[in-house]
Amino acid sequence: MPTIEGKDIRTVVVACEAGMGSSVLLTSQLSQRLGPHGVSVSHAPVNRLSDDTADLVLCHQGLAGRARQAAPGTVVVPFAMFMGDPAFDTIETAIRDGGSLDG
Amino acid sequence: MADASPTAVPLLQAEGVLLGCTAPDRDAAVRVAGQLLVDLGAVEPAYVDAMLEREALLSSFVGEGIAIPHGTDAARAFVRRPALTFLQFPDGLDWAGQPVHVAVGIAAAADEHVGIMSRLAQVLLDPDSLAVLRTTDDPQQVLDLLTD
Repeated sequence: MPTIEGKDIRTVVVACEAGMGSSVLLTSQLSQRLGPHGVSVSHAPVNRLSDDTADLVLCHQGLAGRARQAAPGTVVVPFAMFMGDPAFDTIETAIRDGGSLDG
Repeated sequence: MADASPTAVPLLQAEGVLLGCTAPDRDAAVRVAGQLLVDLGAVEPAYVDAMLEREALLSSFVGEGIAIPHGTDAARAFVRRPALTFLQFPDGLDWAGQPVHVAVGIAAAADEHVGIMSRLAQVLLDPDSLAVLRTTDDPQQVLDLLTD
């Protein structure tokens, strides 16, 4: 299982099925939270992910399996809710205060 | 985010805003949102099927009574021009177990709509704006909140 230290995260990609709806919405919100920490956030369809896409993949739990297949060497953090999911806090905390993420 | 061309059709226009809608269920609501995209000349009819397909795969509910139905990655081929539609359901609608009052239909070929989605992301965090979207009977108020 891949793992990454918060301080090594410079890019995050939000993946969804089409890459035109929910991932765009979430990318906008997370850019505001993670941008001040020097992290850029982008979005992509899950099928176009690879290990080169970003340091960390964030996607809905229903797509996590596909994301891990597409980017097997990259940490995939799943979330259940688009608003207020604890996964977003976990990522921000790891980036800001340090700590490792895996999955 | 500015349009590439000053003559470009706005992503969301008054003709794409339907207030006071009712629908028996989620799929019916998705069809209305999709058909409106067809009527606006934004997508081919096959895109509506892809919207239903996407919805069955994973609900487009994003929270705060809002869903954002859209097609699949493959269905980008059916998009003629990027556009959004806005449907308001004052009585609410069961959206795969979640209450929805607003459905924003999306047709995008690339990233033309990122600006308007950023506005929507902001609105999702603002209870006053959300209340306006759920209850207003004036399409201009919707346009004011979501467009420049």
